[in-house]
Parts: sequence; structure tokens; C-alpha cells
Amino acid sequence: MARRFLSLFCPDVTGDRLTQLVEWCDRYSPLAAADGSDGIILDITGCIHLFGGEDKLFLDLQRRFHRMGIQSQGAIADTWGIAWALARYGEQSIVHGGNAASALAPLPVEALRLPYEIVLELRRLGLSTISAVRKIPRSSLAARFGSTLLWRLDRIFQQAEEPLTPWRPAAPYRASRILAEPISTVSAVEYVLHDLLQEICKRLERNRLGSRHMDLACYRLDGTVDRCEIRTSKPTRSIPHLMRLFEGVLETLKSGFGFETFVLSVLDVEALHPTQLSLSQANPVEDESSFNALVDRFGMKLGFDQVNRIRVRESYLPEQAVEFRSAAVSPIAGAEWPAYRIRPVRLIHPPMSIKISILIPGGSPVRFFIGERQRRIVRLEGPERLTAEWWRDSNSRWGTRDYYRIEDDQGLRFWIFRDSSEHWFLHGHFA
Amino acid sequence: MSHPTLQELRDQLGCLEETQRRFSRTIPIADAVDRWMPHGGLPVGCIHEVKGASVASALAFSSILSARIAGEQGNIVYIAPDRSLHPLGLLPYGVRLDRLLLVSARRSQDIAWATMEALRCSQVSAVMAILDSADLTSSRRLQLAAESSGATGFLLGPVTSAPIAAPITRWKVSSHVGKPGQRFDEPAWALDLLYCRGGRPGSWTIEWREQRLNTLFNQLATQTTREALAG
Repeated sequence: MARRFLSLFCPDVTGDRLTQLVEWCDRYSPLAAADGSDGIILDITGCIHLFGGEDKLFLDLQRRFHRMGIQSQGAIADTWGIAWALARYGEQSIVHGGNAASALAPLPVEALRLPYEIVLELRRLGLSTISAVRKIPRSSLAARFGSTLLWRLDRIFQQAEEPLTPWRPAAPYRASRILAEPISTVSAVEYVLHDLLQEICKRLERNRLGSRHMDLACYRLDGTVDRCEIRTSKPTRSIPHLMRLFEGVLETLKSGFGFETFVLSVLDVEALHPTQLSLSQANPVEDESSFNALVDRFGMKLGFDQVNRIRVRESYLPEQAVEFRSAAVSPIAGAEWPAYRIRPVRLIHPPMSIKISILIPGGSPVRFFIGERQRRIVRLEGPERLTAEWWRDSNSRWGTRDYYRIEDDQGLRFWIFRDSSEHWFLHGHFA
Repeated sequence: MSHPTLQELRDQLGCLEETQRRFSRTIPIADAVDRWMPHGGLPVGCIHEVKGASVASALAFSSILSARIAGEQGNIVYIAPDRSLHPLGLLPYGVRLDRLLLVSARRSQDIAWATMEALRCSQVSAVMAILDSADLTSSRRLQLAAESSGATGFLLGPVTSAPIAAPITRWKVSSHVGKPGQRFDEPAWALDLLYCRGGRPGSWTIEWREQRLNTLFNQLATQTTREALAG
């Protein structure tokens, strides 16, 4: 299939507004990118039928740009180069294969998008149109202008690929809805979203995939885009679950003059095999009330770094022995704890400096102070000497530590240690 | 068709039966405590408040009960404002670390929200949450969520924090001076049942030993000792 490119020339638009427009043009094709500092390029291959034909797509775009008050010229052609040339210098706006050469022929050499020096040189030689340049044999052109000119000509006339880097990677799954009338209420957006989810989830199911990351782009009338994203800890294609996750973020949308187009993209997919459906429940594994759905709701609201599982690490140092691992990361079996050791239920991080009174120098503590309050030690176990593993030097702060388990006269139990410089710290609470 | 008054009476009876059924599933705490409890143990699918002289004691006591409810497969959710929990310290209390989900939320309304969400989930066995306070409405909501899913909620806090309105039971766990040579992972506690719906308050001294909670003295003796100490 021939590829089709749409080039837009909008000289009044610059900087951030151009970036914004590129994002907005995503409604026509996911392969959109800024073209220089004054234009946009879209690869509309395969997107045309969604708008009922190239002319309709083009008209729609022009109408919307006009409404946004943006001056623009555009063209659709088989290559980026032709579309670029026609958008800026041409008469025709839609050109197909064989007609391209004749449409380009009368255009000035500037339309070849060449470096300024080469254009100047061509003009000096009296070659002012593209047709004049193409009449010169390739070998002569190469001898005079080097490879740049030939390379450019090849790209324009489809002898070489011109890669387009879209403003963001194209989503593997995408569905869009263009509305006749703009909408602004959350419930209306939910309705459209539900429709989009049904389409996407059906496609995901066919390919045995589940979504990990989705993005709903809502296009406002004034040419700006609002987005909301959801992430899940496990791949899913359960519509009730996804709807529930979206519920929380949809409220953050600002509709302004209303949304007219919605594009739902699945940015990250993972394999998800179909499960046996039970008669009573539509989908037991991905049910909204399942544990995974709970983890996702926590993650969406609090951030996935706040929702953790535990992974045990092979370290004797208490603060390094356990890793809080985001529940969104696939479970990785932790290390087997080499041997059980008595550990407190809560750790104080960083360890709190305390004062200790000792009867005999170098002996065990008999009293300690937390702040001003003095506590008498009635029971003491230790020392348990812990030191950082030699391959970890991150813990040079306290050096080798001697830990004691102590109980005060109230029955409160603490875990304290003496560092290598004879300072005492409170590190944890026993139950 | 039945008479409307008769129907009303039936509904009322149904409600009573529901209450009976509601607390019929229990787990054992310790022998003497179970005998004291109106349902012969700690009711599952309810909200319990556990205050501790130190949060560590309240946490360990709730962990023992949560682990009993969860068994081998059940999920336990722990919700707290910080990450001070040391999971390895929970091992002696029977908690399976691979079944533990830790949720941190700084704002108290987020903790309340997370507790609610966790209690609503039918695949959660027990929820331990360090919750500042809960008024009557939110406490009722938590209770309803727990009833609907069957999850059990333990709302933890230091004794100094405000009490939760309307829990099913309210406990206070204080440290008890251990015997010489008592292991630090097998602590003794003074356990007070401050409130129990349908039951009476009580006090015991309990000890965690060899994966069992044992009462050290009978309740009367404990009280006499306390009075003697106080007097």
C-alpha cells in the first residue's frame, strides 16, 4: 500500500503552540511530528478511511484550523518531501503517485528543502524550477553539488525512505470517537470511554493481551488536549475494573469549551491468557473486587511506590534486610533468610541518638535516657554484633554495631546499639 | 398475601438472626479470653480497635490474630503513615510475608480511604491500619464494609490517640515485665478488653509462647494483684 503523508505549513505558529498542535493532530494519526519550526507532518497511511476519504480528512483539518484562527496550508502526497513542497509552494493540495512529478515540475527549487547555499548555487546556474533540475543528468548533479542534492531528490521521489519520528511512540492499540457535538460532563465522557473500552478490550482479548498502561486523550474545541492515564499492576482487559480506575482521574479533566474527540490508546500491553469463565461471575480473576483490582486502586490514588510487597535480602543489617518492592513490579522471589534472628516489630529510621549510663567502663548499660526521661533497664540480652557485609560499603556511618535487646521497668522493650565510636542509638521497638 | 404487621415482625426477626449469624464466625484468642467472650472467640468480619502502650505491642497482637484469620492463603493489608514496620519482626507472630501488602499514605484521609477499600475487598482476610480517629459515621461504614466482605479490620494506635467510635471490641495491650530469660520474640502483655459488644470488659495477662497465646493468671488473680499493687 502506498503511504500517504500530510504536511502542514503554519508559519504563525511557533514553539509550545506548535508542540501542542502536534499533540492535537494525534487525532488524525498517531504518527505526527513537528516538521521544522513552522510545520507539522502526519503519516496518515491507514487512517484515511476513518474520516471517509482524504478530501474529507483534509477539509475537517482545515475547518478546525480555521476555527482555531490558525493560518495554514497543507498538502497530501505519497512522500513527506512532496507533501512538504506542495504545502508551501504548490497549487494542488492532494496529489497521487503519477501526478506528483507534474505537480512538482513548475515549483521553485526552494521546494526541494535544500541547504541555502545549494539553492543559491542552483539559482546562479539558472536552474530555478524543479523540472529544470531534473533534466540535468544525475552524474553531473553529483559532480557539481555532491551527494546532498541527489539524496534529497531520491527522498522526495520515493527512491529512498524518509523516516518520521512521531512525537511519541505509536500506541499498539488505539480507538477513537469523533463526536458531532462537544460534550463536557463527566458522565458523558464516561459513556464515550465505555464505548472505547469495549472496542479496545475486544481487540485485546482476540490477541490474548491485557493492558498495563492506558491513556485517554480528550480533544477540546480550542485545539488543546487533556489527557488522563491509568496504570495497573497486572495486565487487564476487564471493563468494570478499568472504568473504576478511570473514574478517579476523569474528574481532573477540564472540559473548557467541551471535548469533541476522544482517543484511547493502550501504551503498554502484556500477555494475558483467557481464563475459564464461571457461570455466576463474568470474569472471576479480573473481577472488580479482586485483590489485584484493589492493588490498582491503591496505586492509582497513592502512587505505586506507596503500595509494596516485601522482598527479603541477604543482609544482616536490619535496614537493608528488607526491601519494600512496588506491588506493580512482577513478584520476584526474595532471598531465603539464612537463619531466624530476633528482630523488633518496628524500626526507627534513622536510629535515634540516646544517652546511656554504664556502671563499669565497657560494661553493659543500666539506665538510658530518651530525651529527658530516664528508664531503668531490668532485662538485657546481647550483644549481637552486626556489621555491613564487606561488599557493601554504604554503611560506614555506624561501623560495626553491638546490638542489645533491653526491657525497662515498665515492660517496654527496645533494641539499642553501640556504634564503633561508643555512641548509643535506639533502633527499634519490640512488641 | 401475608399481613403487613406479620411481615414487619418477620423482618425484625430476620435482623436479629442476622446479628447472631454475623458474629458466629470467630477465631480463638487464648483459652480464658475465649471463654469470656460472648461468642467464644474474636468475631471475624468486624472492626476491632487495638490500642497499645507502644504501637509495637498493638501491632504484634493484631498480627497474631490476623495471621490466624488469614491462614496459609489469605491476604493481609497493612496501612500506615510511615514505613517503620520491620516485616522480619512479624515472623514470630505467624505472619506470612508473601501474603502481606504494605500501603503507606501520609494523609490521614488517605489512610481512612485505603482502610475502607481494603475492607471492601472480599479477597482480603485482615486489615491492620494505623488510624488516627474515626467518627461514628466512618466507623459504621468500616463495619458495614467488613461485614459485606468478611474481612476483619484491626484499627491500631497508641493509647494516647482518640478512640474509634463504635468498634465491635476494643482492646488495650500493655507491656508486662517479662520473666528473667524470657525471649524477646515471645513477649508477655497485660491485655485489657475495654469494650465488647454484647459482653463485659475483662483483663488478662497473656504470653505468646510456641505459637500460642497463654493466659498467665486467671482473670480474678490478675485483678487482685493489680488491686494489691494499686493499694
